Amino acid sequence: MIITELLGARVYGPDFLGFVSDVRFRLDTESISQPAQLYGIIVSPHARSSSLGFERSGVRSPWPIAALVRWRHRGSFLARWGDIERIDVKRIQLREGFERGSPELP
Amino acid sequence: MSAAGDDQSPRYLDAHLHLLDRQVLDVHGVPIAVVDDLELSEIPAGQEIPPDTSPPVITALLSGPTLATRIFGGRPPESRMVRTPWVAIREIGVVIKLSVGRDTQDLFWTERWVRDHVIGRIPGGRHTPKNEESQQAQGNQRGGS
Repeated sequence: MIITELLGARVYGPDFLGFVSDVRFRLDTESISQPAQLYGIIVSPHARSSSLGFERSGVRSPWPIAALVRWRHRGSFLARWGDIERIDVKRIQLREGFERGSPELP
Repeated sequence: MSAAGDDQSPRYLDAHLHLLDRQVLDVHGVPIAVVDDLELSEIPAGQEIPPDTSPPVITALLSGPTLATRIFGGRPPESRMVRTPWVAIREIGVVIKLSVGRDTQDLFWTERWVRDHVIGRIPGGRHTPKNEESQQAQGNQRGGS
């Protein structure tokens, strides 16, 4: 599978939740000489596009762009790999009782 | 962030934010590609994923002719995409630095073919012109001092 098959996919829980706006990977340490594991997907209820880091990293300037991007991606959340039940073509189903994590980068 | 980093805290990478569309430099700092896509290890698509399934990992960076497909939709055939294995990455920052040279990348087979079969057969085409050689030597001396 390639990442563009996941980006922009429609995400469903019990109902439609939003679109995959980004995919997060995790490295166990700062070193990149190890595999980057899929950690979760960022689900945005209103936009398929990336939030360019504004929503996720606390960047607040330039403020007009930051405000616009934050508004476009309001209600975004992180769905972890363990909460993904099924991946189909451009459609992802989350498990019942999935958790909404913070989309901000740790 | 360097592969030699000794920080043991986990690091998170967002595909859009940190990887896609980043320029890729070879071991000599020469730009060789842009990241157009990422290849993941096998995901059981179209079927239920058991809760204890280990997460997929990035196996390679993909580069290829994606301009037309970005404008008109679709995606280029898999055979046109060139893979850079994840293990070849040395550093991820503003650019992605590799630990291998560009000659090892399939991306440049056309350049290598033209160099070996066309340019190399032109008289004088198998060596660097003398003026350039002396300029390079001077540049190396300045850079090394």
